[in-house]
Amino acid sequence: MASLSRTLRFAALIRPSAVLSVVPRAATVGCLHTLTSRESRLSNTTLLSAITKATSGVRSYSAKEPLTLDLIQQRVMLVLKLYDKVNPDKLAVDSHFMQDLGLDSLDHVEVIMAMEDEFGFEIPDGDAEKLLRPADIIRYVADKEDIYE
Amino acid sequence: MASTRTIRAAARQVKPILSVDQGEARKRVLNLYKAWYRQIPYILIDYDFPKSKEQCREKLREEFEKHRHVQDIRVIDMLVIKGQMELKETVEIWKQKHGLMAYWRDSVDPKPKDFLSKFLDGHD
Repeated sequence: MASLSRTLRFAALIRPSAVLSVVPRAATVGCLHTLTSRESRLSNTTLLSAITKATSGVRSYSAKEPLTLDLIQQRVMLVLKLYDKVNPDKLAVDSHFMQDLGLDSLDHVEVIMAMEDEFGFEIPDGDAEKLLRPADIIRYVADKEDIYE
Repeated sequence: MASTRTIRAAARQVKPILSVDQGEARKRVLNLYKAWYRQIPYILIDYDFPKSKEQCREKLREEFEKHRHVQDIRVIDMLVIKGQMELKETVEIWKQKHGLMAYWRDSVDPKPKDFLSKFLDGHD
């Protein structure tokens, strides 16, 4: 029973939809509960890591996906669109946070924190207060990750 | 004449608590906000907190907005120090659940409306 739940949990990381169809009707409520919680945690991660988890099936020991400038831009814009204080219609790559989007300094701190969580590295305060446009953030991340411009 | 001018200049310079200018004070405030923001998910776990993450974030924002108008650097430093003390107590779990729920409590008790409450309160 424990091994069954363990294999189901591992399989859920790869193909949650396929596993749910395979789960027998006699499965306990507890087993189904672990699957749905794992699936919901999967839906919380970004699109990219979900796709790589679905396709690779191999453990990634803190390896990162190969970044390109375009990919960084997509991820930054996605995070900003998901932020509820930002109006997605006004959002552009060179829109200023304070002047165009009407955010204040605490919102800016939250945005920088979201970027830190997204790309997985700390942004110090001296650099963070200069990142006032999405274009600045993209250029900064590209500098830190050594992506050619 | 010259002595009063020097006295006035000396009185304008006050001994700073932590920060010497607005920029440094601002950095301290933003760091405190960041520290609290990062601590919120752990607060919810450690204290089995009945509020949601969004409610906690709103309350954090509200507490910071309360003192938005403050310009005096020493007052800002003092508020940052108090906030840091609260954060330390919260992180080390020296507070309890009611200590944190106090942020949501009304500071004024509601006035009694029905007869018995007024009687027990001792109305005039």
